[in-house]
Amino acid sequence: MSHKPTITDSLQFPADSKVPRALFGLGAAGIIASAVGYFFNADQFFASYLVSFTFFTGIGIAALMMVMLHHITRSSWGVLVRRISEVFSANMMIWGIFLIPVLLGIHNLYHWSHEDAVMADKLLQGKSAYLNTPFFIGRQVLYFVIWGFLGYKLHKASVEMDETGDWGITTHLRKLSAPGILLLALSLTFASFDWLMSVDPHWFSTMFGVYFFAICFQAFWPVMILMVFFLQGQGLLKKTIQQVHIYDLGAWFFAFTVFYAYIAFSQFLLIYYANIPEETLWYYHRLEGSWKYIAYSLLVFRFAVPFLVLMNREAKHRRSVLAFISIVVLVIHFAEIYWIVMPVFSEHGIHFNWMDITTFLGLGGMFFGLFFNKFQKHKMVPVNDPKLDDCLSKSYHQ
Amino acid sequence: MSANNEQTLYGILAEYRNPKELIDVAREVSKTGYQKWDTFSPYPIHGMDKAMKLKKSKLGWIVFAHGMVGFLGAVTMMYFMAVADYPTNISGKPFLNGPAWVPITFELTVLLSSFGAVFGMFFLNGLPKLHNPLFNAPRFKKATDDGFFVCIEAGDSLFDKEKVKKLLEEAGATHIEEVYE
Repeated sequence: MSHKPTITDSLQFPADSKVPRALFGLGAAGIIASAVGYFFNADQFFASYLVSFTFFTGIGIAALMMVMLHHITRSSWGVLVRRISEVFSANMMIWGIFLIPVLLGIHNLYHWSHEDAVMADKLLQGKSAYLNTPFFIGRQVLYFVIWGFLGYKLHKASVEMDETGDWGITTHLRKLSAPGILLLALSLTFASFDWLMSVDPHWFSTMFGVYFFAICFQAFWPVMILMVFFLQGQGLLKKTIQQVHIYDLGAWFFAFTVFYAYIAFSQFLLIYYANIPEETLWYYHRLEGSWKYIAYSLLVFRFAVPFLVLMNREAKHRRSVLAFISIVVLVIHFAEIYWIVMPVFSEHGIHFNWMDITTFLGLGGMFFGLFFNKFQKHKMVPVNDPKLDDCLSKSYHQ
Repeated sequence: MSANNEQTLYGILAEYRNPKELIDVAREVSKTGYQKWDTFSPYPIHGMDKAMKLKKSKLGWIVFAHGMVGFLGAVTMMYFMAVADYPTNISGKPFLNGPAWVPITFELTVLLSSFGAVFGMFFLNGLPKLHNPLFNAPRFKKATDDGFFVCIEAGDSLFDKEKVKKLLEEAGATHIEEVYE
């Protein structure tokens, strides 16, 4: 009971690994292919880009939330996997560059950005104080300043603690996280209004921000689980991150599956029951044609399947089961964002385009390329964290 | 403690110094094949379930059964009210209204599941129990403070007073006593 747990694994992601370069290569190829597509069909390019951009930015936002939650609650369960989230959030600063195509495509994506359309539309006139181009761009800059600053600080201080072993830094991180979590909650709410809700500017849902958070946070746990599996597949941290830590990630995954279902259904039920044409139209478009197949598969693959499978204690211990459910949820997460954005551009049904894939691979390659690029520069685990011993010697609660 | 032969023996109670010793003795006792015995400590000890070779609790199945009763009960109730017995047109929505039924189905499932969890736990623990013979041993009060105890009950088919005492003593008990009903 009194012996101090030690880490026997190497804590350095191999500097000569080909992984970052391969991912950057994939990203560059995807982005170039999509850029070619832009000249054929600009509307499709921007719409596909927005879907993929939201998908990966959502992972970054959720990672930032996880790091700050961890500091505020002085948690010990996830110290071993915290550095992964810290690197995701530290990259938010650079990730802002990938917002530029969304701003360039503002006229293709957002109906409210056309002044003649606003002139002819009473509803859009009422919303023009918020939905106008200069304010929109200003808000985007503000979001990425907030996220970039928080991500940068949280990562930098944590890495500093690796070197100095100064436990006072945890107090500093906690003090940063408390207002940070408030700022993040507000900024992600407005970001979701801007990116996804205002694609259909007549529609509104007051709980869209929490809905966006719920989908991103549910999809974040599969990313963490698969990342841990990937690292261990490379022979890294095999003895350090144990079954019990993976079990915890599975438990979070389960919890936020339930949270997602609660939030997504609440939004639907309130709109369905009130039956106000202005609000129901959004769901009406998404429940007709082939769009309804995505809507129903959300119920099955995003809630029922992961809920019933992950409820089982043994399932959270089986790597193959966790990996499978993680992939299912990530696919359906992409489908959900697609289902939120695309019906505006193709009302009659799913119209899949190759640019949906190339933008996804392009941005995905860049997102994870940036991740590994930063990840290999520092230790993979915050080695001097005061809670690390707690985390290492963790055992199951019966 | 004077042994009183007119009373029936309930069991042998042994005290140990710390959680580690308690886990070690639990491992020893579980090897011998006794069924009616238990350990007592001021707080939960990780690994005790394994040391005592306890089976997985059946509580999950009780909760599941209650949850299903809540779920099916809710759906049946609403079907009877809104479709079979007294269909009412509410802003043109269908009588069999899936989304609108979800909250009540959810609430009843949760309510009955929690009843199942609480009362199932009572049932499995044999509660409410107004008196336990172990309370006859004044020393046993320490179990809520700083005492770590093992009790092997006389009702066990393998029970033999001297053998049990020897077993517990060899495991390093600081105090052993006979507890009477």
